[in-house]
Order: sequence, then C-alpha cells, then structure tokens
Amino acid sequence: MSKQDIEHNIEEADIKAARAQFLDQVYDEKTFVFTADQFAEFARACGETAPRYTDPAHPEFQAPPGFPCSLHPDKRMPDGYPKFNGLGMDAGKAVTCHQPLRPGITLTGRTRVHDIYSKSGRSGRMIFSLIRMDVFDDQNTLLASADTSIVIRERPPA
Amino acid sequence: MTSTTTVRSLGDVNFGEELPVFDPDTGIENVRRFCQAAGWMGPRFTDHDAARAEGLPGALVPGIMSQGFLAAMIHRWAPTASIAAIDTVFRAPVIVDQAYHIKGVVTDIDEASGQVEIDLTVVNDAGETRVFGTATVRLPIS
Repeated sequence: MSKQDIEHNIEEADIKAARAQFLDQVYDEKTFVFTADQFAEFARACGETAPRYTDPAHPEFQAPPGFPCSLHPDKRMPDGYPKFNGLGMDAGKAVTCHQPLRPGITLTGRTRVHDIYSKSGRSGRMIFSLIRMDVFDDQNTLLASADTSIVIRERPPA
Repeated sequence: MTSTTTVRSLGDVNFGEELPVFDPDTGIENVRRFCQAAGWMGPRFTDHDAARAEGLPGALVPGIMSQGFLAAMIHRWAPTASIAAIDTVFRAPVIVDQAYHIKGVVTDIDEASGQVEIDLTVVNDAGETRVFGTATVRLPIS
C-alpha cells in the first residue's frame, strides 16, 4: 500500500467519524428580521420583474426565492468540526421553498451539517460538507431550507 | 426552440423549449446594491483591486446573486411561476463588469402536479458555463 493510499484511508475514516458525530445536530440558532425594502432591493438587483418580489405594496409581496441562501449562521461550522487539509470554497447553493418569507416578522434559522462525503475525479479528491439552514417563522412553521455546499479540494501529498 | 410568448399556465410550456436569454446587470454599482441588500459587503465582491489583492481575477459576483439571476429569468418567462426549489453549482467565478448570459431549457413537465423542471446555466461571452443548476417550478395547470 502506498503512502497516498494510507493518507486517503485515514481521511475516509475521519469523514466517517465526522458523520457519526455531527450529522443533523443543530449547532447554531439565529434570528433575523428583514424590511420590505431589503427584499425588494435584493430582487431588483437580480433583475426580478415580478411585482410580488419588487413591489412592497403588492398584496403577495415576499422575499425572492433565493433570499434564504443569503442568511449566515453565527457559527460557520460546529465546534470541534475537523479541519480537512486543502483549499476550501463555496461549491453551490440550493433552496427549497415551503412558504413565502414576509418582511417584518422574526425568522429563526437553525443550522446543521446535513451531509459529509468525498468524491474523486481527475483533479484529485474533494470533501463536501453540506450545511443546511432551516428557516422558521414566529409560529415555528418551516418556510425554507437553504443549503450551502462547502468543498475542500485535497492538497496533493508532498 | 426558444419561447417567444409569456407563459401563464402549464399548457403554454413545451418540453425542450428554451427560455428567453436574460443578460443581467453585473456592473459594480449593481453588485454593490445587491451586496448591501443581502448583507454581503465583502471587498472581494465590491472592489476589483481588493479582490485582485486576494489573488482573484477581479471582484466576484456573489453566488447567491447568480442564483438570483436564474430565478429572475424564470419569472421573466413565466410571471406566475412559483419556484419550489433551485439548486446551483458554482463551477467557476463570475466576474463583476463582465458580460454573462442566463439560459434555461425545459427538461420535464408533470401534467398532474403542474411542475416543470428547468436546466439552468450562466454562460460568458466565450461560451463557458460558470454556474449551472436546476429549478423545480410550479405553474397553474390551466
């Protein structure tokens, strides 16, 4: 077995351990309140034209669908989360919209690690941490789930 | 086949149709306006020199803004559409003050639920896909 194989096996074990310890444990809870102008400015800058996103006077006025992806938890990762060796970047965002986000109400974001996995390709191995923030209204109704995919591109062995 | 009419209901949608291309405003002033609204005022998004000092090719359009361009294109095509989910992958940087084209194609239509699947891309003038993704959209059935 080569040195490279040994290093990869150790990291796979790290991933398995991290899954066992962190998956689906809420590690951050944060509240937010947004104004109608913030929602409308976000929408207009993206080129939205539908009045329910751009006109605060519209009876169905709401945040544009991608807005929940802009919310940051106070803690980026859980305490004790492993620091995988490599170059980190934001690989993608996804949102599932359950109910409209309205301005002026208190929203609560609860954040957890939803998945951890690795992929190998021509450029080497990458480790993905999928961070999910579920956004609730003041009646604890789930409004949206926003996912951030953080990828660590493994540094080649020295 | 590119759609030329505004879509009002599921019956207006054809499998394989291309949504009208949307060329978004990626100018620095508009990106700053977006960052202010989103609370993302980092210099890597709002200042070319600061971004280059970080080793980037220029100020970056935030990924969530690219996602917003994709959603805007869907609503321009179908103003009554409700986006149930949108998933985007950031393959390469989208640079402020450069031209991009937002494209979409209908890949599935579920007549029973009124749901449409759309493949999405953000492409530069060289034809390189910088962001891609999918959206699930609900439309009135009739």
